[in-house]
Amino acid sequence: MNIEHFLKSKPPIWMRGDIDYGDIVMSTRIRLARNLTGFRFPRAFSDEEALQIDKMVSNALIDGDKKFNIPFSYFSLHEMPALQRQVLVEKHLISPQLANKTKSGSILVSEDETISIMVNEEDHIRIQCLQPGLQLDKAYQIADEVDRLLEDKLPYAFDESFGYLTCCPTNTGTGLRASVMMHLPALTVTNQMGSLINTMARLGMVVRGIYGEGTEAVGNYYQISNQITLGKPEEDIILDLQSVAEQIIQKEIGARRALLEHASIAVSDRLNRSLGVLKYARILSSEEAANCLSNVRLGIDLGLIPTIPDRVLNECMLIMQPGFLQQHAGTTLQPNERDVYRASIIREQLQFNNSDSKQ
Amino acid sequence: MICENCKQRPATITVTQMKNGKKVTRHFCDVCNKQLDHFHLNLDSDESPNAMQKLFSNLFGTPSWSVQSVPISNPQTKVPNESCPQCGMTYRKFLEEGKFNCPTCYGTFKEQLPQVLKRLHNGATEHIGKVPGSINESYQMKRQIEALRQDMKLAVDEERFEDAANIRDQVRALEKKLQIGGEEKGEH
Ligand SMILES: [Zn+2]
Ligand SMILES: [Zn+2]
Repeated sequence: MNIEHFLKSKPPIWMRGDIDYGDIVMSTRIRLARNLTGFRFPRAFSDEEALQIDKMVSNALIDGDKKFNIPFSYFSLHEMPALQRQVLVEKHLISPQLANKTKSGSILVSEDETISIMVNEEDHIRIQCLQPGLQLDKAYQIADEVDRLLEDKLPYAFDESFGYLTCCPTNTGTGLRASVMMHLPALTVTNQMGSLINTMARLGMVVRGIYGEGTEAVGNYYQISNQITLGKPEEDIILDLQSVAEQIIQKEIGARRALLEHASIAVSDRLNRSLGVLKYARILSSEEAANCLSNVRLGIDLGLIPTIPDRVLNECMLIMQPGFLQQHAGTTLQPNERDVYRASIIREQLQFNNSDSKQ
Repeated sequence: MICENCKQRPATITVTQMKNGKKVTRHFCDVCNKQLDHFHLNLDSDESPNAMQKLFSNLFGTPSWSVQSVPISNPQTKVPNESCPQCGMTYRKFLEEGKFNCPTCYGTFKEQLPQVLKRLHNGATEHIGKVPGSINESYQMKRQIEALRQDMKLAVDEERFEDAANIRDQVRALEKKLQIGGEEKGEH
């Protein structure tokens, strides 16, 4: 599988909605942090150690026995142009931190992009599994399977009392970070996110904005994940997050219902205006595009806007990001040029879909 | 945006506070936010020379030296002198950076670590959960032996002596296997 396959703007499987709570939970992610005994962590290791780890991991996964029949493709970040690295970050296949590690980092990806293994990021190995909707059990099962395959062949750094040994003490123990990406426009617009974030912190959960910086999430997308990795078995970490996610879903549903009841016409006006912006604007910043796409998605969920397939909206979400835009344009673009290009691409996507649905 | 406290991790939490009747927005990473929450640090301490040091001094239950400039050499801080044999990491450096340099660091600082982990993981200091297969195997074997011994006892009680003898042979075989496995592991 060559790199072009992974740079396409077609949304990967894990971004397809229409699954359990797919209108509110966009996707589920499991990450396992692992290290090899006898090697220093990436922040302190030598080039030689980096190379050796890289070889060990890719050999274990690619040339490994046929028992595990998912083929992985290997890419070294060293050989990858900056724009391609950015696209992989925007697709959530690698972290920004790994994208900057051009000296020692590499990535192994499954063809359907649901599994990626980052090598020599903060830890030697980070197994990541992405699934659409709220599917914590399934995502963990897959990550666990990859982990078992690797542990057969690699000397994991493990201590009976501290568990899996990681570079940062915040990951020690299970090395497990489970997260769900949620679209929470009604809770955001009714100013309930602040208190929700505080409640989450007390429950040992962390809330982050996905697009943009800080928790002032652009596009009303939030990532909720476990904070604690030690003293709790994997199953409990996942169960706790599952129940928290289900509670937030119910809150969001309640907030949406209240919005409709109290301000139906005002809400409908606002959401449809966003659709108008996306269809007719000539300049679109990524913030405005993300917020409008969020509003349109909410409008569809509330039945106030005629259906546009999730596939189209997800593709818009992907392609409006700077890396994708420039790749699509085939050239580097200045920020103001990007805003113009973004507007034209989104316009095209939505208009095409519109004429499509009239047939 | 970078965390205002540690200036290392990306800020993920926004805190809005009232300060002198004015609204102030602060941005912290999840780690700092949790610690700040725990210790009610003075959030207005812009003069703090090294916020991460302050955080970690709190983590380790040592006096915060940013307030009264307690030097790190203060006997009360009980910073161990040994450095990690594999990577040379010192405990003081770990305090400053908040990260380890190699897996052996855990063994080197194992006396101090429970109090660090306790603060980060809501009181927990011991791993419960998945164990890598190689370690798991001997653990499973021990449990299997235990179960067989119970069976053997039952067989004897019920005067099924032939069964009991068979089970005893199984137990011996497993014990031998366990011993060999243990020796192999010890060589590493
Ligand atoms: Zn911080
Ligand atoms: Zn070390």
